[in-house]
Amino acid sequence: MGRVRQGEGAAGALLRREARAARSHLAVPLVLGIGQVAVGIGQAWLIALLIARLLGIGDAGWAELAAAGALALLSAAIGIAQERALIAAGEAAKTRLRNQAFARLLATGAEDQRPVGERAALVVDRIEALEGFLTRWLPAAMLAMAGPALVAAAAFSVDATSGAILLVAGLLVPVAMAVTGIGAAQASRKQFSALDRLSGRFLDRMRGLPTLVLFRQQEAEATSLRVAADELRGRTMRVLRVAFLSSASLEALAAAAIACLAIRHGAVLGLTHPDPAGAIFCLLLVPAFFAPLRAFSQAYHERLAARGAAAELAPLLEDDGASPGYRLEEVPNKLVVTFQDVKLTYDPARPPALDGLSFRVMPGETLVLAGPSGAGKSSVLRLLMGFRRPDSGRIAFNGQDATLLAPAELRRLCAYVGQRAHLFRGTLRENIALARPDATPAEVEAAAEAARVMDFARGLTQGLDTMVGEGGFGLSGGQAQRVAVARAFLRDTPLVLLDEPTAHLDPGTEAEVLDSIRRLCAGRTAIIATHSRVAQRTLGRVLEIEAGRAVGTRMAGE
Amino acid sequence: MNADLLRVLGLWRSRGWWLVAGLSMACAASLAGLALLALAGRGVAEGVTPAAIFAGSAAAFFWLRPVVILRPVFRYLERLVTHAATFRALADTRVWFFRRLAERLPAGLGFRRAGDLLGRLVSDIDALDRVYLGAIVPGVAALAAVLAITVVLGAVSLPLAALVCVPLALALLLPPLLAPGAAAAGERVAVAQGSLRAAVVDPLTGIEDTLAAGAEGRAAARAHQEGTALAAAQRALSRRAAYGGAAGMLLTQAAMLGALAYGLAAGDTGVAAAVLGLFLATAAAEAFGLLPRAGAALAAAGASARRLFEAADQAAPVAEPTSPAALPKGHAIKVEGLSFAWAPDRPPVFDGLDLDVPEGARVALLGPSGIGKSTLTSLLLKLAAPQGGRITLGGVDIATLSADSVRSRIACLTQDARLFDDSIEDNLRLARPDAPEADLWQALDRAGIGEMVRGLPEGLATRCGEAGARFSGGQARRLALARALLTDAPVLILDEPAAGLDAETERAFLETLGEATQGRSVILIVHRLIGVERPHRILRLAAGRALPAMG
Repeated sequence: MGRVRQGEGAAGALLRREARAARSHLAVPLVLGIGQVAVGIGQAWLIALLIARLLGIGDAGWAELAAAGALALLSAAIGIAQERALIAAGEAAKTRLRNQAFARLLATGAEDQRPVGERAALVVDRIEALEGFLTRWLPAAMLAMAGPALVAAAAFSVDATSGAILLVAGLLVPVAMAVTGIGAAQASRKQFSALDRLSGRFLDRMRGLPTLVLFRQQEAEATSLRVAADELRGRTMRVLRVAFLSSASLEALAAAAIACLAIRHGAVLGLTHPDPAGAIFCLLLVPAFFAPLRAFSQAYHERLAARGAAAELAPLLEDDGASPGYRLEEVPNKLVVTFQDVKLTYDPARPPALDGLSFRVMPGETLVLAGPSGAGKSSVLRLLMGFRRPDSGRIAFNGQDATLLAPAELRRLCAYVGQRAHLFRGTLRENIALARPDATPAEVEAAAEAARVMDFARGLTQGLDTMVGEGGFGLSGGQAQRVAVARAFLRDTPLVLLDEPTAHLDPGTEAEVLDSIRRLCAGRTAIIATHSRVAQRTLGRVLEIEAGRAVGTRMAGE
Repeated sequence: MNADLLRVLGLWRSRGWWLVAGLSMACAASLAGLALLALAGRGVAEGVTPAAIFAGSAAAFFWLRPVVILRPVFRYLERLVTHAATFRALADTRVWFFRRLAERLPAGLGFRRAGDLLGRLVSDIDALDRVYLGAIVPGVAALAAVLAITVVLGAVSLPLAALVCVPLALALLLPPLLAPGAAAAGERVAVAQGSLRAAVVDPLTGIEDTLAAGAEGRAAARAHQEGTALAAAQRALSRRAAYGGAAGMLLTQAAMLGALAYGLAAGDTGVAAAVLGLFLATAAAEAFGLLPRAGAALAAAGASARRLFEAADQAAPVAEPTSPAALPKGHAIKVEGLSFAWAPDRPPVFDGLDLDVPEGARVALLGPSGIGKSTLTSLLLKLAAPQGGRITLGGVDIATLSADSVRSRIACLTQDARLFDDSIEDNLRLARPDAPEADLWQALDRAGIGEMVRGLPEGLATRCGEAGARFSGGQARRLALARALLTDAPVLILDEPAAGLDAETERAFLETLGEATQGRSVILIVHRLIGVERPHRILRLAAGRALPAMG
């Protein structure tokens, strides 16, 4: 509950901040909106004159009719101009917020446990919801004060009582909306959580569709998806019910205002009324009076949606997204890596991943991390990549505390191939060049050759320009692995970090790739986690890890 | 309305009653608004003759009261029912879309972007709500209003009816008239939505690789670019909507001014009719609401529907037989003269492959990576169809069996077997939903991971994370292995069961393989044997064929 309230506070602060920033962009649409209200008043006056004429009072005629027509055209033009101005006002804010949120998601992405689909919904769907707040709610809220005030003033100038009736109705609007909107922000939050969950679940299941299909569980999953979709529906309806109630209360107020004005003017119409045209004018002002309020009420759920959306976005947007830490003056070409009593715990309920690990690797040396799976080998590499920060202990590069460097700077020193290396949809060449986009084609080909990618790429009609799908579709596990290793060859950094680089490889290819890796590591500092017996025998000093602690060390070949 | 949108409506047929109920509410609300202003107009018009004030207009104002109350109630119910109907239909559509994808993409997403498919499930299905809420509901309500006005005014004066109803009828036609012009913009919005989501999902999926390559700036730039493209497309579409809104406003104003002009031209005799016409035209303006803008929304919905069906209609990799044969009793597998290539321009993977796996046999299949070991799995599981030769299960060609029945006999641990972001228990039960807990533990123990799971504070309820991200690679692989062992299929394919496992664990598992798979046929796909597997037969894949080999 404490967290919920904190989220509410941060969401409110975010919206207030954005509202302040947007105010200057909204001046033009606001002026146009007031202009449209003024045109509406003029139209009401002309039509009142014309109706009075029909009732036999006054001498308005075709000229007034033509003027009313001209005002209708003017109103349409203002409407279009206003909408254009609003769209432009929202765009800039949306782009800035999305960039900021996404940069933050990327920076913290390696330790964020939320499903990817959920995080994607944050930067796509929730940012869109903020646009409604900026381009519909804010201007509607501003116009909801100025517009009706203008109309009421016009009514006052004709008949003070009519003006007062309109004013009272106008003052009741916020009361009615507040009463109908109680608890709505909470409902909106839940709606967004339901959307996040649906997105997260769907993306997760799409990625593993073959697993579901082979176990013949696609129908069971469809049922679960139905539950998630129904939850989203229920949550959405709960939010909308509030919006509908507030609209209905507004309509009731409008009807009451008409009734009051009709009672004031209706019974005396045409008999002894001192100013029949004025009376009709007051009646005709009712729609003009309520139009901005109606826009306000319709935009009310935009505000609710924005509040719901802002709750999860606020933490992403709180600081400017720049990760703290020092920058590198230059990339050193020799690197001594030291771990000193390093501890790391992912989940307090589970045993620590690293429990006081110490070691040192010298330039030109290759350290092989061995040990059962779950012993903490990958965690060592993750710490060195800045994906995680150690709970305690010291990690040093050339004697300097490495954790003081900004993570992105840290990674400039490293070439890294993770255990679940991901291939993106694109050509083999693009996937390798990811590691260094300014590499020449020849350099990419050399990396592909060294990682034995060319062994199979030569057999493809399009060679390195062959497309692969997300996650390496079109390649076997061993082929995808070699593409990932080619990235490390291209990167050219003083520190090389490889996690199971020869998994999925047959003994022949493994020997060849290990040979290349040896050449890659020559003259660099390298740390390689592997189960492979061959790799452990041939690459370098072996550090045996168990339960996050070093249990022994042996030289290559022992 | 194009064919795609009609097909969407077809999908919603089972929600027909809800949708019709929403339409009737909308008509009731629209006609109530009309009645309200018609009565008010009559009151005002009759006010012209002083004598009628206390007789006629009093009666009109008397009838006003129930209508004044009914109208907001109808409006509220209209919104509630139409939205409830729509969101039911959208939930149906989402489930339908998933089912279709499962049917058409059983072997994985291929070259499709997962983020783009997610966009179709979320944004494109959301855009469909405009078809009913933005076009059909206000369209039918406005049509009812226009018809009622035509009848009422037609009875009074035909020229007046024409002056008021012709502009209104034109306003009614705005959405279908404006939709084609907005089609290009609608298409761009739908496509940009998908691309933006893919641009966000892609780098987050491979986040470690993105960060390791220092590519976060490039990923952010791409998302920025896609976001800008989306904004530009939305701007173009919103402009279309604004034009529609302005045109609709002008047309309803024209109807009101037309009534006034009739009054001016007709003189004293036409006053009552003109005032009635004016009030009815005012009511119509309200009934139209946002209808004139619906053209843009329809265009966007049309484009979204097309994207949805484009993904849902792609051909399945293996067509289901029209009348599947009955599943045979036996489960001996025989592969005869199999030939297969993934694409015509790719080298053939198999060229006359023969393979025999009698019931209960344990066959080891060796070969270097990329030789086609996993392809054979795909063929056996009907994720791909051979171009030549045949595979029989219990003597029946699997081409004549339904894919589902084949998969009920053959279970598989694939190389890319995935753990879902659920509990360990839920992940295991995918293999056998009704398995007793003791069986779950037995499978975990056989995969050499039972001890680790017992040590977890939440045990079987521990969440795995996406693709098992909360476990180390070797632990995740063993959980997937346990899941495969849990199935009760008589044939088990294990594709690199020990990949990513340390040597001791690998050895321990392979030593007990015989016990773990007692009574089942096993196809063990590995790069090399370590000497403890004790297979009945060893085959090596080479040059598209399987040759007998020594371990």
